[in-house]
Amino acid sequence: MNEMAILFDATKCIGCRGCQIACKQWNELKAVNTVNRGTYENPLDLSANTWLTIRFVEEAEGNSVGWLFSRRSCMHCTEAVCIEVCPSGALYHNQYGFVTYDKDKCIGCGYCSQYCPFNVPRLDASRITGVGKIGKCTLCTTPGLDRLSVGQEPACVKTCPTGALVFGDRDELVVEGKRRVASLQTPNSESYPRATLYGKTELGGLHVLYVLADSPEVYGLPKEPEYPVTATVQKSIFRPLTWVIWILVALALGLNVLIARARQIRKGG
Amino acid sequence: MAVVERYATSARWFHWLIAAVFFELVLSGLLLFIPWLSSGLVGTAMRLIHRIGAVLLVAAPGMFILFSWRRAWHFVKEALIWGKEDLGWIEAAPSYYFGGDPRLMPPQGHSNAGMKLYRLAIFGGAGVFIITGFIMWFLKGIVSPAVFQWCVFLHDITFIIAIIFFLLHVQLAVFHPRMDESLLSMVDGTVSSIYAKSHHGRWYDEITKKNKSR
Repeated sequence: MNEMAILFDATKCIGCRGCQIACKQWNELKAVNTVNRGTYENPLDLSANTWLTIRFVEEAEGNSVGWLFSRRSCMHCTEAVCIEVCPSGALYHNQYGFVTYDKDKCIGCGYCSQYCPFNVPRLDASRITGVGKIGKCTLCTTPGLDRLSVGQEPACVKTCPTGALVFGDRDELVVEGKRRVASLQTPNSESYPRATLYGKTELGGLHVLYVLADSPEVYGLPKEPEYPVTATVQKSIFRPLTWVIWILVALALGLNVLIARARQIRKGG
Repeated sequence: MAVVERYATSARWFHWLIAAVFFELVLSGLLLFIPWLSSGLVGTAMRLIHRIGAVLLVAAPGMFILFSWRRAWHFVKEALIWGKEDLGWIEAAPSYYFGGDPRLMPPQGHSNAGMKLYRLAIFGGAGVFIITGFIMWFLKGIVSPAVFQWCVFLHDITFIIAIIFFLLHVQLAVFHPRMDESLLSMVDGTVSSIYAKSHHGRWYDEITKKNKSR
């Protein structure tokens, strides 16, 4: 199966947040009470029950204020650190290349939430007992709520009224994204010289691609998302080597006992 | 056979309590190393057990310090004060450890330099475990992800080292031919005076002198 992806075109998003509602509805996520903080951006942050929000970035445009809209949700990285640090094996790549998870396996440790370069998975757990589960976007591939297996596109894409979200083959979407960026950069009265395609190569390639009118930082996206180095050391070096080290130490200690015993017997004490 | 008291009843109880808690923490901590311990309900239970163990690991020494602070202080001080015989121990230890001539080992106090080093290692290791563990438990999402990640890393590497120290501890206490009364001394609290004289000569002199002067 070819890897799939969604393409988010920030220049087409109007901030209607229909995708947020569709996401909640389809995935049966509880609504949360929010507070008016003087912005239309709402809720202000992701949570275990809010897998997708549209970020409202305000920018001065002469005497008025312009809005930049950006989609904040799981990026479905190819090099997904959440999968690597998950001790329970709950998180995994599915056949589309998306990062999904088995909620029954999740033990609520929240490592994924602490290692994600995009701060996406969120933990809903008791601070005292630690019992709980994480929640994050699966691009509508959660077992039982799987839209893709029945030929549907993700709920956010389905509901988007402006075509800012497109679902399809990842390779084709990369081509489409490049085409859109090139057209944005084409010099005319409304051109965007800093327009860029985000997600093509970041962390081995994201499965959410962004057509941005400006540099990623302006949209609150890390320009070079980093894979935490300690995660690699622990998984690739500590995990396999630990047993080897322990066994070697135990063997060395056993050898010492044999030598000490033999020499003591020979000397008689 | 003449015996001398080496570990008081309370000290032995404390030792085995810490040993049990350590065992519990190791077992539940192994969920990071053994996949079938880490998933679903088993994994959730392991995390809960680990937290109970963590509370005990802080509470047990805490009570000890609170209710018996003199002895707790003595326990710390003993590991910190080093004399000539300790430097002598370090020199003689390798040969002694491999069954060499025991007469090359200078007479030792109640705790020799190796035991002091081991005790200091425990203090250091416990400090790292408790501080990083506290942050991971109570400050997840409050401290920055980088701090959390380093806590996981330090907790992890300290665990790997702690197991190595534990293996050494078991080897010396249970299997090493030279320390043949070590395990029993932590069970019934006594060693033979022959063992006390040959392994902790300075300490033996101290207690026998004290007894004579009485």
